[in-house]
Amino acid sequence: MTNNEPILSAKQVSKTYGGHCVLDKVSFELHSGEVLCVVGENGAGKSTLIKILSGAIRPDSGIIGVHGGTYSALNPRESMQLGIATIYQEVELIDSLSVSDNIFLGNETLGRFPLVIDADSQNKKARQILDMLHIDIDEKMLVEDLSAAQKQNLQIVKAFHQEARVLIMDEPTSSLGVEETRSLMQLVHDLRGRGLGIIYISHYLEEIFEIGDTILILKDGEQVGLYPRADIDVNFVIHNMVGRDASMFFVRERVPIGADQIQVENISWKDAVKDVSFNVRAGEVFGIGGLVGSGRSELAASIFGMVRKDAGTIRISGQELSINNPKDAIKNKICFITEDRKKYALFDSMDVQDNIVIIHTEFGKSPLLKQKKENRLAKSMIDKLHIAVDNTEESVISLSGGNQQKAVLGRWLLNDATLFIFDEPTKGVDIGAKEEIYKLIIELARKGKSIIMISSDMPELLSMSDRIGIMREGRLIKILDNQRITEEDLIHDFIGI
Amino acid sequence: MKNGKLHKILHTQWFTLLVVIIVISVVTGMVNPRFFRLANIINIFEQISTLGVVASGAAIMIISGNFDISVGSIIGLSASVMAMMIKAGVPIWVVVPCGILIAIVCDAFVGFTSIVFHAPSFITSLASSSIFKGIALALTSATLQTIFGKFSFLGSARVFGVVPLMFILGIIVYLVVYFILKLTRFGRRVYAIGSNPQAAYLSGINVKGSKMLFFIINGTLVGIAATMLLSRIGAAGASTGAGIEMQAIGAVVIGGTPISGGKGGILGTFLGVLLMGLISNSLNMLQASPYLQELATGALIILAVAVSALSNRNGKASM
Repeated sequence: MTNNEPILSAKQVSKTYGGHCVLDKVSFELHSGEVLCVVGENGAGKSTLIKILSGAIRPDSGIIGVHGGTYSALNPRESMQLGIATIYQEVELIDSLSVSDNIFLGNETLGRFPLVIDADSQNKKARQILDMLHIDIDEKMLVEDLSAAQKQNLQIVKAFHQEARVLIMDEPTSSLGVEETRSLMQLVHDLRGRGLGIIYISHYLEEIFEIGDTILILKDGEQVGLYPRADIDVNFVIHNMVGRDASMFFVRERVPIGADQIQVENISWKDAVKDVSFNVRAGEVFGIGGLVGSGRSELAASIFGMVRKDAGTIRISGQELSINNPKDAIKNKICFITEDRKKYALFDSMDVQDNIVIIHTEFGKSPLLKQKKENRLAKSMIDKLHIAVDNTEESVISLSGGNQQKAVLGRWLLNDATLFIFDEPTKGVDIGAKEEIYKLIIELARKGKSIIMISSDMPELLSMSDRIGIMREGRLIKILDNQRITEEDLIHDFIGI
Repeated sequence: MKNGKLHKILHTQWFTLLVVIIVISVVTGMVNPRFFRLANIINIFEQISTLGVVASGAAIMIISGNFDISVGSIIGLSASVMAMMIKAGVPIWVVVPCGILIAIVCDAFVGFTSIVFHAPSFITSLASSSIFKGIALALTSATLQTIFGKFSFLGSARVFGVVPLMFILGIIVYLVVYFILKLTRFGRRVYAIGSNPQAAYLSGINVKGSKMLFFIINGTLVGIAATMLLSRIGAAGASTGAGIEMQAIGAVVIGGTPISGGKGGILGTFLGVLLMGLISNSLNMLQASPYLQELATGALIILAVAVSALSNRNGKASM
């Protein structure tokens, strides 16, 4: 399967920022038809490594080898010309152009007249490529009408069309549902068979063990090791990533569950949420699972007043609430920790303190700011949640994903709410921070709060929830007591077969 | 910790500005000693007070992620109406509130159209600017309304016989806006909405209501500026105040507030205004061509953008 000549290699590559070594003498070889998985906690140096390979940053030392040539650094253009394509988390496509236009962007097929694109021949060729890779997207569709998963596939197709030899994928499945993840895995498998070298980065270790040939473990910028997949198992990887034993399944503490506290009745919103009813008891974690697009986030948005629900009532302790916007929801003791931190939660031009106290200040009595109190509150949250910052004035965007998420959580914890809605609470968060967030959720439950937790992470859903509600096509089709349910069972319910 | 603070101050844009201001002053003073005469310094402060009031409003606008480029036309309209009222013999204590009210209504219109039609305020203020100018031209029949001597008190009064009243008014406006931005919950909303309006909404902030208030506050300041300008010049027409919106935006940007909003402040804005006034005065003192002043202002803004872009890059690299 692999020949001896690597298509991409790194030798002793290092990078230091202001005295802090973020990547320390990392070496690997990638061969044609090989999937190299890179794992490590946030801050382990994965992103730095990708940026070096894609030419976004220069390493301080070390050698990068591509097709026999050696380089001390690449720039983005060189990297692309050498056939290294990077598929980023943020999709880089042009929304207003069609699928085939995007595939041929930059090397359009010209027709008989100069400067005029031959759309027919482009569409035909696009169809061939899509068929070859078994991707079911209409080549004439506009990119803005595609789903997140389809956009990602399209990026890969584009890279393939540009004859990339190496494909770097950074957390490609973080926003995908179960089914979409499967088809992506299949695509990766296909590309591997076609002789591409693939560097695959993911927090989801199951995926890595499914498709990886070799696994590169990074920890605090250092290379723990490079292993053939067959030689190691999940526990070994986790152990070496974090330096301590951890099970895939977080073992949560049980807390006493009280009486019904939250009653959601007959909520509907457009076609996305259809007549959903459920109760959540005090101290209970109510998990909600389903495929992406099954209406989970929309349900949360309807409860929180982010959108105007068409019908339905929400009661807390028997009292019916009137919620028309997030302000009403917060007043009525409801919190919503959104899935998309960057878009819906972070104030990235503001410092950590202002990000933490924003809601407390907004709902405080005084129209004047109480700076000392704000500082005290922010510090208390930084300590409580172990947010890694030097001071409260640090810019919030300079923090890692996990610390950003904790800062957002701190914002809501200062508001003594009754119902906490978490939408993908640990998305893009490393294992260490993940556990801390889980413990925090359980602590809230212990205090008698009600928790709704939407999650696409199966182990998370199974290990955290007391009951699991399953959504499919906008309906809450089933509520399961979380006893002896397996991932398999859930997937069957999600898909409906 | 203390070192860190000092380091921080040395790297802020307003500190750079302060250094530039001092350097320009010293150089000009050496070439032309008249620069340091009290009369000239008072003259500088008097000249920048109106711009300062407009720039304070522009700072609120830009930090909150909005733009109002109709300010010049609003001043033209408001000042013209005030001048016509004064000519008609309406008492000053009625005229001034009316003038300010007109400015508030105009700016509220800009904000309202932006909010209701989900259009960037840059566009609605661009359109409104034409409307206001058209109204002013129609009302005045495109003539200059002169009121010499009838309302010169504000523009010529000196507190303690030295300090121009206009300058004191300007300083009061700076202080009020500083208070709003840094010490009130409302000010926090200005930054939050400018930083991420969706996150602000989900944090329970009434984004539309707040935005409307930003425009009303800006309108109030613009109305005050129109009053100051009318009193100083003693005449008004549709083109009174033309171009001041660009100078104000320039001063805010020079003062270190990014055009993308979400951060910045009034101290930088004050220094930005001072620098603009200083450059124009220095060029006069150095007997440079008046055309150079326009050129210098533009170059200054580009320079300010360059400085903040470069310091941003350094900030990112050291992350």
